[in-house]
Amino acid sequence: MSNAAEKKLLRIACREFESRLFVGTGKFASNELMAQAIEASGAQMVTVALRRVDIDNENDNMLAAIDRKKYLLLPNTSGARDGEEAVRLSRLARVASGINWVKLEVTPDPHYLLPDGEETLKAARILVKDGFVVLPYINADPILARKLQDAGCATVMPLGSPIGSNQGLATRAAIEIIIRQATVPVVVDAGIGAPSHAAEAMEMGADAVLVNTAIASAQDPVRMARAFKMAVEAGRIAFETGLAPKSAAAQASSPLTGFLRD
Amino acid sequence: MSFVLTINGQEKEFAQRPGSLSALLSELKINEATVVAEVNGQIVERKDFSTTRFEEGARIELVRFVGGG
Repeated sequence: MSNAAEKKLLRIACREFESRLFVGTGKFASNELMAQAIEASGAQMVTVALRRVDIDNENDNMLAAIDRKKYLLLPNTSGARDGEEAVRLSRLARVASGINWVKLEVTPDPHYLLPDGEETLKAARILVKDGFVVLPYINADPILARKLQDAGCATVMPLGSPIGSNQGLATRAAIEIIIRQATVPVVVDAGIGAPSHAAEAMEMGADAVLVNTAIASAQDPVRMARAFKMAVEAGRIAFETGLAPKSAAAQASSPLTGFLRD
Repeated sequence: MSFVLTINGQEKEFAQRPGSLSALLSELKINEATVVAEVNGQIVERKDFSTTRFEEGARIELVRFVGGG
């Protein structure tokens, strides 16, 4: 958002968030560790996925580990291969969660898990009309971001690099354009592998970041969650403050007079 | 006579017809508070589980939240 610098809270649809770090709940070694990491991250929004129940084995109820009073549940449509499947998953998620927020993702290719922009836009239009608050996961495509914004999406969520790849902001230049154009919050999602990547996105003016693998797969997810919290806060403060300009030549920090040789 | 339902894509045989979706879930030992169901492509609200019945061969989807990013 162009005037985000004056705003302290992140506003999405009609909700406000103090934290600009969203945390994914996949890949944690246990529900207890997940709950502790979420707590340490300071996040107020956590993502979850919908999957078939295993009817032959006991099913783990991960939702019991998430305090719904503290964290907004953001169901995703992961696994959807086209827009139609994403709409179906969104409607199931709405019944399961009791809220109408959805992280829309359509990823037909299992190798790179890159989002299908055309199907995402198609599904977004249906879901917005159906009353959903839609947060679409997209490639860092400024034109598509604008179309989704115009379609009534609550945010756009461009990827930094492929999901779980920890490659950081490989799409930096395109994300900068998306941020410059956006009238809805820009949440950088996917590929953020280190706190420095998160800080970089926030310094660029991203409104929030979503991190999962880098926290869940860390040796100590709780401490890593804290590291991400600090990085997101640092990056945000730097953005609000305004970074000092770059220059090609050195600009001395110490006085250029009074040398011993003078 | 057995009663066949397709649950999450798998055919499953029951000795007799489960009286409702709630009865089916309890037979499968699934906590109904944690699942969402579709019967023949139609979402069933949790409050309607105990009154939802099905015909032989009905397609039932049972889903729940899991960790995800």
